Amino acid sequence: MKTTMMGSYPKIPAGPGPSVRTAIQRFEKGQLSAQQLYNTYQLVVKRVVDLAADANLDRTTDGQTRWYDLFDPVVRDLDNVHSAGLLRLFDNNFYFRHPVITGRLQYQGGTLAAWSQEAVSSSRIPVTVVLPGLFTFLALAEDQNYHSADTLLSDLIDVMHLTVRHLESTGIAEVQWDEPALARYGGRWPQDTVHDAYRALLGPAGTTALDQSLALYWGPSSSWVDVLTDLPFSRLSFDAISDPAILSRLSADALPTEVGLGLLDARSVRMEDPEALAAVLRPILAAQGPDRVWVHPSCGLEFLPPDRAALKVRLLQDLKALING
Amino acid sequence: MAKNLKTTSVGSFPKPPQLMAARARYRRHEITQEQLQQAEDEATRQVIALQEELGIDIFVHGEMERGDMVAYFAENWQGFSESLPVRSYGNRYYHKPIVEGPVALGKAAGLTVAAWQKAAAMTSHPVKGMLTGPYTICDWSFNAYYPDRRSLVLDLARLVHDEALALEQAGAQYIQIDEPALSTRPEELDLAIEAMAIVTRGLKAKTISHVCYGDFDTILPGLFDLPVDQLDLEAANQNFALLDLLARHPWPKNKELALGVVDVHTHRIESVDEVKAGIRRALEIIPLDNLLIDPDCGLKTRTWEEAEEKLRVMARAVQAVREEEGLE
Repeated sequence: MKTTMMGSYPKIPAGPGPSVRTAIQRFEKGQLSAQQLYNTYQLVVKRVVDLAADANLDRTTDGQTRWYDLFDPVVRDLDNVHSAGLLRLFDNNFYFRHPVITGRLQYQGGTLAAWSQEAVSSSRIPVTVVLPGLFTFLALAEDQNYHSADTLLSDLIDVMHLTVRHLESTGIAEVQWDEPALARYGGRWPQDTVHDAYRALLGPAGTTALDQSLALYWGPSSSWVDVLTDLPFSRLSFDAISDPAILSRLSADALPTEVGLGLLDARSVRMEDPEALAAVLRPILAAQGPDRVWVHPSCGLEFLPPDRAALKVRLLQDLKALING
Repeated sequence: MAKNLKTTSVGSFPKPPQLMAARARYRRHEITQEQLQQAEDEATRQVIALQEELGIDIFVHGEMERGDMVAYFAENWQGFSESLPVRSYGNRYYHKPIVEGPVALGKAAGLTVAAWQKAAAMTSHPVKGMLTGPYTICDWSFNAYYPDRRSLVLDLARLVHDEALALEQAGAQYIQIDEPALSTRPEELDLAIEAMAIVTRGLKAKTISHVCYGDFDTILPGLFDLPVDQLDLEAANQNFALLDLLARHPWPKNKELALGVVDVHTHRIESVDEVKAGIRRALEIIPLDNLLIDPDCGLKTRTWEEAEEKLRVMARAVQAVREEEGLE
């Protein structure tokens, strides 16, 4: 069994230590220089990747420490897209600046690759970069240019493909496509459309040296299992908190891809019992194979206060020790 | 007070620098609670004076005594503890409450009355009594005690009802019960409606609910069944696209709409002409008698200067539409 972070992580400490929040406040008051603010970001990224490594996780993100939201670096790296008004991120008391597309998408690159290189240089374990999935981007962006979902999707695939190509040179191990919209608004897109879009994005197996995984969360995901498993994803991740039915499916059928299980509720301060999690996990390990199952929080941990987020990471460590010995 | 296109605000105002300094000093135990309250009262006077100057019709007191709209109640009621901060957007964080036991008013019955009374005594305009709705308090808290969301929401509804009664008995003619979380889970809209029915049961004051930043397409027209007299919705944030959604359904005759016409999450100050255009679009689908005008949401996210300027633009736009339509 392997363990990983899922995306975001609190940008503030549970106790003393560097805080992005405080640094930004002080920077805006003229009490910190740009260099000092930059240094704070680096220290916080280091804290996140160190936490993951110390907890014996197999992969980590940079906690999306520099990110305003899931779309932020992608919007920075594309021309003819800008961040506009705040919208609620699904059912969370968290708000993102929705991307507005004003012209044909062009990839310029630079920001995400630089941030990713920084995470790699700080981390003792392999790094994953999370990107908004194609359909989550389509669902939450505002199109003022294409007025054709097919044409927009085609161009989006092109620029996301370029994004992945650029990330290959940064030293990261994995790109994770986050698709809460597929789980939340499952019926909005024909399954063939979703399948073909990801087929086009991923290309044939071996196109890139990077692992590419897909994460479904905040809604039912079982209906996507058969649609997505013949694609060359390195892992399909499911949110067992919002879709417990996925557990019985994964206990019964071995999937051709590795499986990620969001067993820890990343939006609840209640701490799970490792023994109870292990009991849920064992039939899935038996069905999928013990080295083909990843366990992780149900989504990014930034929805929790920093003390509870750290406890959830350490819970992953306890669970892994319990299962792997 | 104007007869048509009455103006109002959603709730919070930015805290003036003097109050921010007083709050910091209070946290460092450098001033007493009484001194902090004096600073809050002075800030409330500024909020009232600004609304007087701009000719706003229905006032708010600005919530100078509150930090966060949910945490304020959780800090004072029983059953809650306070978490370390959680980010809500950008560099904004809040102490998300944790429900650790059965919720109760405890010694905080009538929590919101004193601040309302002080503000009401400062003006002849009606001042809204401001509450946070039970669904939102539940949704924006961690539930570590109740077996399910429904039982927590309904317990909270009874507390909010008691608070609404206290405001009404103190003389509030308008009571606003904010439910910004209501637009997030269409599958729980019936629960939110059931809870609001508990909150507003027997009230004679005009009841208002502010709902914002959600997927309205998924909760209309069911939202019209929320048992309040007025819905307060944000529109400027998405260039008045909300009006296209509202146009698909006949507006209920017995409900008012307070429409947000300036975006509270951008530094940019809207022009009078763009606000006027939004109001005119609204008038195409909402009967004049049912329409009020206000900002998208609470103004606390802006600087004092930005909040003042946005309200000034709103007031000018409304006045211009009134004059052009001969509504005075």
